[in-house]
Amino acid sequence: MMETPLYLEERSLVKRFSSPLSILLNTLFIMVLFYVSWWIFQDPRGIMRMYTPFVGYMWCRWLLVVMIWIAYIFDFWPFSRSWLNNTHPVLKGVILTTLTAVIFAVMLKLFFETLLGEYAITYFSPERLTKEGLVEFYALEYSAQAILMFAAIASWLSPAWVVAAEGAPWGNLKQPIKGFSIFIVTFLLSFIVYFVVYHSNMGILFDPWQKFAAVTPPWWEDFAGTVHGNFNIAWVMCCTVIVWMHETIWERYPFSMIQTPWIRRTASFFGIIAIAVALSFFLYYAQELIWGEAIRGTRRDAAPDWRWLHVGEMAIFWLLPTLYMHFYLKNGFNGYSKVVNIFLRTIATVLAAIALYYVYYKTAHLFLGTQKGFSHPQQFPMIPLIWFINVMLINYWFMDGWPGWRLAKVGEVIKVRSVEENGVLTASFYKGAVGGIVGGVAVYFAIIYLLPYMGKALTIF
Amino acid sequence: MSVQNEDTKRRDFLKGALTGLGLGTFATMGIFSYSPMREFFLPQMVRKMKDFGACKSIKITNISETSWFDNATLMGDIKGAGGLLVNQYLFNWPPFGDGTGLAKGSYEKGIAKIKHLLPNKLEEAWKIAEENSVNPQNAGGFAALIEIERLDGVKKKYLLDTGWSYAWMDESFKREGIDKMLANGEIEALIISHEHWDHFWGLPVTMKYAPNIKIIVPEGFYPEGFQYIKDSGHKGELMVHKTGINDIEPGLCAIVFDVPIINRVFGEQSIFANVQGKGLVSISGCCHQGIIQFISMAKKELKYDNDQMYGIYGGLHISPFDDWDPKYDDLVIGLAKWDFKAIGCNHCTGLLTARKFVAAGYPVVQGTAQHRSKSKVYLGNGDTMVFG
Repeated sequence: MMETPLYLEERSLVKRFSSPLSILLNTLFIMVLFYVSWWIFQDPRGIMRMYTPFVGYMWCRWLLVVMIWIAYIFDFWPFSRSWLNNTHPVLKGVILTTLTAVIFAVMLKLFFETLLGEYAITYFSPERLTKEGLVEFYALEYSAQAILMFAAIASWLSPAWVVAAEGAPWGNLKQPIKGFSIFIVTFLLSFIVYFVVYHSNMGILFDPWQKFAAVTPPWWEDFAGTVHGNFNIAWVMCCTVIVWMHETIWERYPFSMIQTPWIRRTASFFGIIAIAVALSFFLYYAQELIWGEAIRGTRRDAAPDWRWLHVGEMAIFWLLPTLYMHFYLKNGFNGYSKVVNIFLRTIATVLAAIALYYVYYKTAHLFLGTQKGFSHPQQFPMIPLIWFINVMLINYWFMDGWPGWRLAKVGEVIKVRSVEENGVLTASFYKGAVGGIVGGVAVYFAIIYLLPYMGKALTIF
Repeated sequence: MSVQNEDTKRRDFLKGALTGLGLGTFATMGIFSYSPMREFFLPQMVRKMKDFGACKSIKITNISETSWFDNATLMGDIKGAGGLLVNQYLFNWPPFGDGTGLAKGSYEKGIAKIKHLLPNKLEEAWKIAEENSVNPQNAGGFAALIEIERLDGVKKKYLLDTGWSYAWMDESFKREGIDKMLANGEIEALIISHEHWDHFWGLPVTMKYAPNIKIIVPEGFYPEGFQYIKDSGHKGELMVHKTGINDIEPGLCAIVFDVPIINRVFGEQSIFANVQGKGLVSISGCCHQGIIQFISMAKKELKYDNDQMYGIYGGLHISPFDDWDPKYDDLVIGLAKWDFKAIGCNHCTGLLTARKFVAAGYPVVQGTAQHRSKSKVYLGNGDTMVFG
């Protein structure tokens, strides 16, 4: 059986207007949609005020996960290709977004709060926590925290199974068998990872420590310098970001060079984790170089637990320009060879991420209703950034990039999926690679040498 | 060899070089960044040892640590208003209630109802505030009296914060004799730790007795806060302490942190005293910056006797709403290495934290649980603590 390409891979989008106009139009559209929806649902000054913050955080993570399920795992099943191709993008966007919210509401109320919370694990149910004597506000926040952490893990594993493991071993099955198979496996895997990396955090959230139900103090205490699960949030968030780097601007390179499918899939899946862990260590170190060594027990930007959280936050700052570049700029750099393109895209998105980081912390509190400063315990830049990413996904995945883009008509565009450069590795490649590795080491040390100076030069507060 | 082959070689070399560049960079990130080798590049701590003098002793009287009487009511309001980041002036809490309900108020509408009664007709003003506000019976307040004995034996008094409820704070001031001290000009200044409702909104009570008192606020106050100082009837000097160290008098200094706090408040100042022959005493209203942050800054910046962290007094802002987080365990564990000799805590420290301190064997000074303070692990309302 041949593998059926995903609808998103099969689909060809063409611009409705000349290049900058389409881009500007969509940029404006997603910004308006972001701000209006932010005001309605999240903003502490707005209508529903879900940014409490964990309730709002849980919602935006879960909407992301369900959208990934719909688009990547179930490939829009049960909607037919003809429905997807012929329905107006706005109507499609409304229906699919509503479906996303409904699926999430069912997951939240039936699966987490009722099935798990009422019959298995107390902290998934705010009502049970309230009955145990917790203030209602914190009962809701604690349960939201646990449920969102599951989503954080799922939003790495779900796409990773499709884009890195290539859906194996169910890649050739038809929907919905393929979707349900991958869904069940990634869901169970997410639970296993959740228990290993976050259950202990929840176990010490209550007094006395729940040492018969969870490992307390948790296994990461000595290494991470904290008992907080934020240590795991750091690398899990980096995994979430790297999996999308791999799928979008990196075009699955360099793992796409591996010809043997099972080796490629295994290398991609674990390679993403390896890159993510390396990135998380580096981003933690970057904070030490700029703000000094973290001291256990301190608060805010000096605390190890916050530093690990901030690693994940910094990674998300990289994801947003990456997805924007992929969706609306067609990956930006396409005029050179694939590897040069990838290199230029990576540099461009890193620079954009740094600029976004600076602008966000300088200005976000003025229009998002959030707190000024880096490290307020209720200040999570991940929430608005992921909310923005959700809006982009709705626009690009569910609405075919309307209003700036539209689906191509049959024969209008020849879709070429890049699978090139999988050729034999030559001696020149290896020579270049050796030189490159030495250069990479030099680049790393140059960056860490310069970081303290950059930190002083770019004082935000 | 053909030209095409040379091109291919160059392309392959470049492809390999860029792939290697990525691999080398990420590999070094993973291997070096969290290894012991990373310490080589970390900045070494240079202790500045600023000499801010010393005093003979410090006595602290807790006027009121009960900022609110019921956590569930307070958190219910915060939840109902939309969470921890909602601007405090919007809540419709007293004294700025305007009758429109939770989270629909503003400073301007609230103060308009009572401004004409400040600072002398406080009972009447509070009655209006009660009629127009959300859960007015839950308002209490934090305030403490700091008495410093200089090396020459002269004693000076400072008021740290001024609480929240006009009625409760006036009652507490009278109970501890603060009203007379203010009226007699015995108190040098009112030091506001931060702009939060429970430390600052009771300002007219201080103004009623001493409208000319010097007020010291930390950098970060909002326009509403400055306006409230004027509207409360203040006629004396207003000083804004900048972020960093600010001298108060020999042996006493304030440190301002540019720390973001819930309900939009920004910036907090806490106080250090250097007690001769003993060491450093930290005094805080809420310590939103974190107690270990606070003392580690002192270690970097200040010179103090015996190089000893001697005592703690105040709200330590760890589990103020009966909440908990693993990072608080980090704090409870991490405090051990500083070897404090006496710890007096209350208010936003959280009863659970205080109990964990006791369980960890820290020298927590017990209180009397009087005047509506809930537990003896707190230095409660009317309790005193002397360092030196």
